[in-house]
Amino acid sequence: MARVIWRIAPWLSVMAVAAAWELTARSGVVTPFMLPSLSVVVARIWSDAASGELVANLGLTLYRALAGFAIASAVGIPLGILIARSRPVRWFFDPIVSVGFPMPKIAFLPIVTLWLGFHDVSKITMIVFDAIFPIVTATIAGTAAVDREILWSARNLGASDRDLLREIIFPAALPEILTGLQVALPIALIVCIVAEMKMGGVGLGGAMITASRFAESPGVFAGIVEIAIVGYVLVKVMAAARRRLLLWHQEVLAPATV
Amino acid sequence: MAGTSQIVIDQVSHTYRPPRGREVLALQDVSLEVRGQEFIALLGPSGCGKSTLLYLVGGFLPATLGTIRVDGKPVSGPGPDRGIVFQHFALFPWKTVRANVLYGLEKLGLPRAERERRAQAFIDLVGLHGFEESYPSHLSGGMKQRAAIARTLAIDPEILLMDEPFGALDAQTRSLMQSELLGIWQRSPKTVIFVTHDVQEAVYLAERVVVMSARPGHVKAIVDTRFGCSDPSVFKSKAFVDKVDEIWGLVRDEALKAQGNQSP
Ligand SMILES: Nc1ncnc2c1ncn2[C@@H]1O[C@H](COP(=O)(O)OP(=O)(O)OP(=O)(O)O)[C@@H](O)[C@H]1O
Ligand SMILES: [Mg+2]
Repeated sequence: MARVIWRIAPWLSVMAVAAAWELTARSGVVTPFMLPSLSVVVARIWSDAASGELVANLGLTLYRALAGFAIASAVGIPLGILIARSRPVRWFFDPIVSVGFPMPKIAFLPIVTLWLGFHDVSKITMIVFDAIFPIVTATIAGTAAVDREILWSARNLGASDRDLLREIIFPAALPEILTGLQVALPIALIVCIVAEMKMGGVGLGGAMITASRFAESPGVFAGIVEIAIVGYVLVKVMAAARRRLLLWHQEVLAPATV
Repeated sequence: MAGTSQIVIDQVSHTYRPPRGREVLALQDVSLEVRGQEFIALLGPSGCGKSTLLYLVGGFLPATLGTIRVDGKPVSGPGPDRGIVFQHFALFPWKTVRANVLYGLEKLGLPRAERERRAQAFIDLVGLHGFEESYPSHLSGGMKQRAAIARTLAIDPEILLMDEPFGALDAQTRSLMQSELLGIWQRSPKTVIFVTHDVQEAVYLAERVVVMSARPGHVKAIVDTRFGCSDPSVFKSKAFVDKVDEIWGLVRDEALKAQGNQSP
């Protein structure tokens, strides 16, 4: 019984927010323009889904966010390992990472637009630049923390320099690298939506801006709900991937303990 | 190689220079020659530099002063000719016991069937049968230690550096592992440097026992401990007990000094 309650508990808070939304919207305190009721918004999502518009927008947004995330990972993980392992690389990149991480990369949007135009390339570029920083910093931290005796025993058993990077340092740092990826993925989605809103065109963010221009508030709120669901699913998929990849790790043994 | 010196440690000092904190002179003027296929035990109080000396012979750390030669060549880095069992096991936590043991065999380039056969043989030898697919985080301290021993023994190194390899084992398992180690050493002779805190174990296993001084560590005494008999009954013989007492006295003096060093 207690197990069942803990199972559904997370859904209770979501349902409470949904109920509060519906009640507020119907109470007449606010106009439907300011806050359309949840049922209207759901109906709107349903009709978008039926017309195929939702799939088109969702597909494009996911494609951009995931492409940017994939490029950021493919560059960020090796770069992080190199920064942690090689002094010249560290000297060159450390200041760039330190200055670049806290900088609001979205401020570069006009420049990137100027250089690369309004198409996917510029949006994906923005995503890469935002998502890469948590990946690089987490990889640096994970790599630097690898126990020296583990490196030594690999060397002792005959690992070459290249083996060491691929077979020892990467898996040893994987828990922290995955933490970086888990931070980067929502960032990729957020930047994607913002870039779409700023640059327009097809995609969840673009659709919201279009709806907003036409003063069509159910469309705007539908976008918010859709983004929330997409974000939720992405976060859960990443968490599941983490559990799969870290079967060996202590944390997988007892996920619920403090 | 038997008879001539395989490992020559010549006036070696090592200073740890952490980026923060004070420098530590861990070893000072250590000189020691180990013959090919000799079994040496290293005794000394905690913190006297036993692990450090193994790291230097293993080629993981450079000597600050002095030279170490193995087979006549100065040590310049780690190599599979010198297998090491680390005090803290240093297993690969993302690999199962079997994969840990297989790693070194893969690097040797052995054919698959031979790798599997050898890995299984050494896993059985250390009594980890049934735990081949377990991850290190699911094993007890003693089991991890035995996995680490299997991993190193499997690559059959010419020189074995063992840092308190039985430290985490109960008396029963320890005694079994001691006979296994002696068996291996007799079947395929190798040079062994064996660090331990257990004087009986040192006297039982080793041909010579090296007693190190309190930090900064150097060689305080070398005691010949050959009895020509590796039977466990040797524990009760007068000669054995006297040897243990003699070495115990040397170690105790240094341990007391080390205690005094704690608050300079
Ligand atoms: N990474 C390090 N940085 C600084 N000092 C160190 C480091 N490792 C060891 N030392 C110092 O060097 C000395 C020798 O350490 P070492 O680990 O070799 O001792 P040990 O004889 O193996 O001790 P134990 O029996 O407790 O394992 C110690 O006093 C320790 O303070
Ligand atoms: Mg030690």
